[in-house]
Amino acid sequence: MDAALQSFLQARAEEDGYGVADALSPYSPLGDPYRLYNFYRASNAQTIESDVRYTLKYSKISGLPRNESSAWTEIFVSYWKLAGEILARDDATNQGRPQRSGQMVDIYNAWKDLTNILIKYSANGYLPAWTVICLYKAGKYLRIFAIRADEELAKSPGNTSFNHGFQDDIVDPIAKNEKLEETARILNRMFSICLGDRNPIMDSRKWGTYYMANLQFKTYFKLKAISLSKNIIRSINAQNDLPELESFPKSHRVTFKYYVGVLAFLQENYTEAVKNLEEAWRECHVHAPKNQELILTYLIPCRLVSQHKSPTAELLSYYPRLQAIFGPLVACIKRGDLAGFDAALVAGEEQFVKRRIYLTLERCRDIALRNLLRKVFLAEGYEDLKEGQTEANRIRKTRIPIAKFAAAIRMGSGGDGLDEEEVECMIANQIYKGLLKGYISRERAMVVLGKKGAFPGTGV
Amino acid sequence: MTSRTTVLWRQVGQPSHAPAYNAVPARKTFTMPAEEQAAPASPPQPRKVDWPPPVREYVRRAFDPDYAVPGIEQEEMQIKLRQIITSFAEKEMLFDVDWANYPLPQTFIANKRRAAATRALASGSGINIGLSQSFSPLHITPQANHTNPTPANVNSPQHSKKRKSMDDTHAEQADQSIPPWRRANRNMLEDRITRDPKVKADKRAKKGVGLAGEIPSKFDQADLEKRKKRFGADKTSSASDSDSEMSTGPVIGTCQNLEKRYLRLTAPPKAEAVRPQHVLEKTLLLLKEKWKQEKNYNYICDQFKSLRQDLTVQHIKNAFTVSVYECHARIALEKGDLGEYNQCQTQLRALYSQKLGGHPEEFLAYRVLYYIYTCNQTDMNDLLAELTPADKAQAAVKHALDVRSSLALGNYHKFIQLYIIAPNMGAYLMDMFIERERLAALANIAKAYMSVTLRFLSDELGFESDPECAEFLQSRGAEQLFQSTESGYRVNIGQGKALFDQLRAAAFSKVDIKGQI
Repeated sequence: MDAALQSFLQARAEEDGYGVADALSPYSPLGDPYRLYNFYRASNAQTIESDVRYTLKYSKISGLPRNESSAWTEIFVSYWKLAGEILARDDATNQGRPQRSGQMVDIYNAWKDLTNILIKYSANGYLPAWTVICLYKAGKYLRIFAIRADEELAKSPGNTSFNHGFQDDIVDPIAKNEKLEETARILNRMFSICLGDRNPIMDSRKWGTYYMANLQFKTYFKLKAISLSKNIIRSINAQNDLPELESFPKSHRVTFKYYVGVLAFLQENYTEAVKNLEEAWRECHVHAPKNQELILTYLIPCRLVSQHKSPTAELLSYYPRLQAIFGPLVACIKRGDLAGFDAALVAGEEQFVKRRIYLTLERCRDIALRNLLRKVFLAEGYEDLKEGQTEANRIRKTRIPIAKFAAAIRMGSGGDGLDEEEVECMIANQIYKGLLKGYISRERAMVVLGKKGAFPGTGV
Repeated sequence: MTSRTTVLWRQVGQPSHAPAYNAVPARKTFTMPAEEQAAPASPPQPRKVDWPPPVREYVRRAFDPDYAVPGIEQEEMQIKLRQIITSFAEKEMLFDVDWANYPLPQTFIANKRRAAATRALASGSGINIGLSQSFSPLHITPQANHTNPTPANVNSPQHSKKRKSMDDTHAEQADQSIPPWRRANRNMLEDRITRDPKVKADKRAKKGVGLAGEIPSKFDQADLEKRKKRFGADKTSSASDSDSEMSTGPVIGTCQNLEKRYLRLTAPPKAEAVRPQHVLEKTLLLLKEKWKQEKNYNYICDQFKSLRQDLTVQHIKNAFTVSVYECHARIALEKGDLGEYNQCQTQLRALYSQKLGGHPEEFLAYRVLYYIYTCNQTDMNDLLAELTPADKAQAAVKHALDVRSSLALGNYHKFIQLYIIAPNMGAYLMDMFIERERLAALANIAKAYMSVTLRFLSDELGFESDPECAEFLQSRGAEQLFQSTESGYRVNIGQGKALFDQLRAAAFSKVDIKGQI
């Protein structure tokens, strides 16, 4: 037992949060593949508590306060039970047996017990604040185990869909994510403990706030309860004595900004979304291409729709997956190819919908249309030279028959089911959205464009 | 009376076995016509009357352990006792009853249980007067109610502060089917009020109704205990998982009435108050017919809710269930009751996922339109994510998706064309947002045109005639934009930019401001 707790005692003596957290890992470290096994074998259900208590009390390294000592005792007793569950699963895997049904749920429950004990002693102050790292670990694996446990439960038969209680309607529409929902509540408690910690700031759990917030975001997104994320942001904003976001670890910051950006994106607040996503993008680790890709997945549509800026070919070339989904779309927008745009949108629909960017990308059709109309405008050429005018300041033809725009639109789409009124409507929309300056004259069937800056921001 | 029957029915009758439920006060539903007025339940507190000696003797006998029936608890008996006495007191028949020979409350309860056990209909068995009076309110004419002030009315001054009078009258109405748990619920409410005599003392004194002192403390105590027990039971059973609740199994209804008022359940349903499927099928036909003829939505909605409830408690989940929900959803749509519609929609979604038949594509299309109405981008995205190519090929779904995309792109021209050809009842849903989209289109047109003919506007906005369109514009303060010319009316729409922008913003803010850039 002494040997098994050695790494913990060492880390505790050095007040090394990560070391302590590692001692509570549900997996054996690479350098010591039998750690979990050895720890589990070092005792049994009957004596584990006294073993741990004795070790903690008489170990040479530690001089733990009594409260803390009893807290760790309880934690390691719980960890020992968890080790048993993990080993049972590993045994099954190693021997090629199928996993016992309910194994994942048992692991989840054991880890949940451990987590709750950690929460309990963190909340009442028996554990020093730097052990917040243990809460990180607890939250991280709680979420992972919960997802697996839910998967396992979903497979097991006999989940009736009749609701209990006396509700009037027949079926319970709530998806079965029981464990993950429970996890969300536990994470929320951890978040509150961090956010509300009143220790002096240098020695406070407040530094764990954003880590916990990020875990909660992940969980809510997975649960499709995205709207709950707003509560987290709200409570963070309401906490006046929280240090500046900039003073938190970069990894916490980047993830947090990414989620704030995505949330703003989903609420169609594109200015806010661009701001946060760009910050996340700038600070994102160079060797984290997956994270970069995630950020760009939302940043690119944001900038397209709000600033009409498309990603460069070079940028996309670094991310083959993004190239595949955005490449064709962006090319069609640039060409003003409406039919191609529609086709690309349909082709990528599944991917887009999955990432919740479909509805935003759909609106980029306006830019494609603008580019097409602009081509018509350019093709119309110039008015005849008048007196005193030179080639340099020739005026473009600004009265363009609607029929010409209609023809341009039909060229791409084959022209089925598109009447003049609909073309007018499309042009009216462009004018309304400020993509085109001018007005429509129905009597002359003309679009009268502005003499200067008919297509704002495009140089003509 | 026999122990066999009591054991059989224990589960249903006794609170300690009851599954978790929330005792809720009667919900304020739609008020019903007067003939539905029901007999009021037992009064919460005894009235200030001198009980005749035979009645006192009767009460004494009821509490006498010699007459106790095994399996029937005293609380239950007390409720029944109060109910019996008050029902006679209300009709001022206390002196007409042969109390010495009148059956004791425990006898009634035992009879009822036995009756239920043999599947006889409680109201039809006619075993005794007390039961039929409380269970079949139809015997009591509205006049009787008016001439005899009910105890509840007498008491209303005390609890009018706690409950709105509307609720009170409603609660009385709602008691028409009087399953026993309703009465328990009422009592509990009254307890809550009388439990705190000190606080309310002066209020009562002012009103000259010194009730607190008259309540026999025994009653109070018993009720309190029962309350405690019930809440205790609540906790334990809600903590246990659903399987234990399931063990009571679905109810098998025995009620033969076609119509039934909706009451929110707060306790296990009674078989005699639940209609089995073959009755419900007739009910559905009746309701459809009534809806066609009378178009009384409040009535229909209420009936459908009780119909749905009966299906739920009997765990009936088949094609018939689907047809009930579909029918209710359509009627709700027709009346623009989107709250009720949404409930049905949610249920239908789950029912369709079990492939029970019905018209999934029709309601899928409605769901798309519904999300358009609520401007709910997140839900819309989730919905798009679950659509299969087969779904999208369905005409109605395709139509709804086209509506969605036309609005997303601001293509009001196409939108209006789709509005005109909406399949099924889609037009009812589209009616919910046609006005706001018309205003959006007007804001659009106002920026893009200087002046247009009225004819053009009527066409683009999908009005059936020019006058209709003109009226729409006028009612929104745009009359100064009209201009009469030789070739008909023109609208100087360009001058209405600010007006229509404002109207558009206001129309969208009602649901949600999002959805636009």
